[in-house]
Amino acid sequence: MSNRHIGISFFMVAALFALVASCAELKSIRGLPESHPESLAVGQQVSCAECHDDQQSGTLKAFDSFSHTSAFVKNHRFYAASDDQLCSICHKSSFCTDCHTNKVEMKPSTKYGHRPDREMQHRGNYITMHKIEGKIDPASCYRCHGRSNNERCVACHK
Amino acid sequence: MKKVCCVLLSALSIVSTSAIALAADVSVETTTLLGIAQRDVSGASKENILPATQFFGLQADSLADGNLSLHIYGWGRTDMGDRSYSTDKNSGNLTYAYVQYAPDYANASVRAGRFFVREGIINEQLDGLNARTDLPAGLGLSVFGGATVHTAKLVGEGSDGKGDTLYGGRLNYRYRGMLEVGVSGVFESEAPELIAHPAANYRRIGADVWLAPLKTVDVIGHSSYNPETKKMAEHSYLLNYKPAREIVLTGEFNQHLEQSYLYAWTMFSGATLNPDYRSTSFGLSASYEINKALEVAADYKHYEREFGGANRFGGDMRVHYKDNTIRGGVGYHYLGADEGFSITPYTSASYHELRCYTMRDSKNYFTAIDLLGNFFEQKIYGKSSAWEANASVGYHITPGLALSGDLSYGRNPQFIEEVKTILRLTYNMNYPGIGGKK
Repeated sequence: MSNRHIGISFFMVAALFALVASCAELKSIRGLPESHPESLAVGQQVSCAECHDDQQSGTLKAFDSFSHTSAFVKNHRFYAASDDQLCSICHKSSFCTDCHTNKVEMKPSTKYGHRPDREMQHRGNYITMHKIEGKIDPASCYRCHGRSNNERCVACHK
Repeated sequence: MKKVCCVLLSALSIVSTSAIALAADVSVETTTLLGIAQRDVSGASKENILPATQFFGLQADSLADGNLSLHIYGWGRTDMGDRSYSTDKNSGNLTYAYVQYAPDYANASVRAGRFFVREGIINEQLDGLNARTDLPAGLGLSVFGGATVHTAKLVGEGSDGKGDTLYGGRLNYRYRGMLEVGVSGVFESEAPELIAHPAANYRRIGADVWLAPLKTVDVIGHSSYNPETKKMAEHSYLLNYKPAREIVLTGEFNQHLEQSYLYAWTMFSGATLNPDYRSTSFGLSASYEINKALEVAADYKHYEREFGGANRFGGDMRVHYKDNTIRGGVGYHYLGADEGFSITPYTSASYHELRCYTMRDSKNYFTAIDLLGNFFEQKIYGKSSAWEANASVGYHITPGLALSGDLSYGRNPQFIEEVKTILRLTYNMNYPGIGGKK
């Protein structure tokens, strides 16, 4: 299939979406609330299972899947890829763009030097360490610096 | 660039003032940072760095009929001493600026402006439109399209190697609390011709899955395919097992066919990589919340590439007392890596990493100490370690306004020593709505 055909297919799907979106039936589908009904403490490793033991109507997934365990925090990219609207109930977009951004010069660990608990990427002397880590797992570099946020990279990698 | 920054900040001021006037719920966040640093670069004279950086964010909810919102975030920097970062003494960028209309049903939303899209295998920034909604019968759809947000030009080129337009989307299906599958794709217009780098079109299609056959088990991950190389690009999967609420066991597997996955990484000429090279990693981790105040975790990960293998293992412990006002953590990891991963001309890439931090928050003040050290098995540039210590003290002038200062000192192979001081003024004005957002 040529790229043109793929493109046409996507626009047809988009047109279908517009048609379906106009259907009043959508109004009967429950969505996620705009924000969490209880205030959560800053720096808290939230355990959704403390209050919820069922599944949520907005994502059809168990609340406990999103408890902020160490494993969740390290692997949050998997969850954000399908449920970033759930993230946005508690987090502003800027919370994500503290790290996942483009054309930001300052390391997040410098901007948030007063918040070591957020375990921001590239703390300390990462200029030295990236020469090892980049060889071991280049895909982990590419995710954030492959197509954006690479001003520091192009300064040396010519 | 200075002109751009002035126009940007003026526009932000006008938009934000208008938004504040019209909106029911407005939150503003600003962070002003004044950096004071002295760098002693190997083989060069000392540099005095004095950058002033301003971050500004605005979120205005409940506009118009209550479903419209405005989201803005950007930054600007000016150097008052030696160059801190690039050849520009002044710089700035608009990270995102979009309006969103989101009715209270079907997770539907339409965004227009500059924003990030994260859907399935897609993680892009663009200036354009994004519409998404849940559909009947468990289906969901998201489509986006617009202009690519360009980044730094490649050295010796007049471009960053990206095409000028970008579009794509994701179609997904959810079945009760057991299954979600999605297909997604992203397509960028023809990449520009370059002088010293290969032009590489960025196109990717993929599928993602979330499967929870039991309440205690879920599998989540994705695979992607590069239509340009006509080969798979990535497999990335995670298995979670929660035998008890306090215990999480995870296993992960990642494999990248390097040419396909890194194809559009023009800076490293990804399109010319050996099409047979793969990087693979897999690992296990376990975390146990012993009680409300204490959590321990251990992890192991193995990496494999054409020129060697590496193993990383270690553990972390986190504590938090008194309603989270006292927090701390300590961690140790060891990386044992084959010679192929070492920094030229050295023969070892193995090192130990130690980290610990402690924090104290109160109504009036907050403090933090953070220590990080990497200890090499073989000296790099004549140094056996790279370490940094950072101490931070802050004072809440009002509940939303805080002044803080960081002092850090480090010694490492790259710079003989680094002394950095940062003064930080943070303002977070949140509307008193339910929950609030962090």
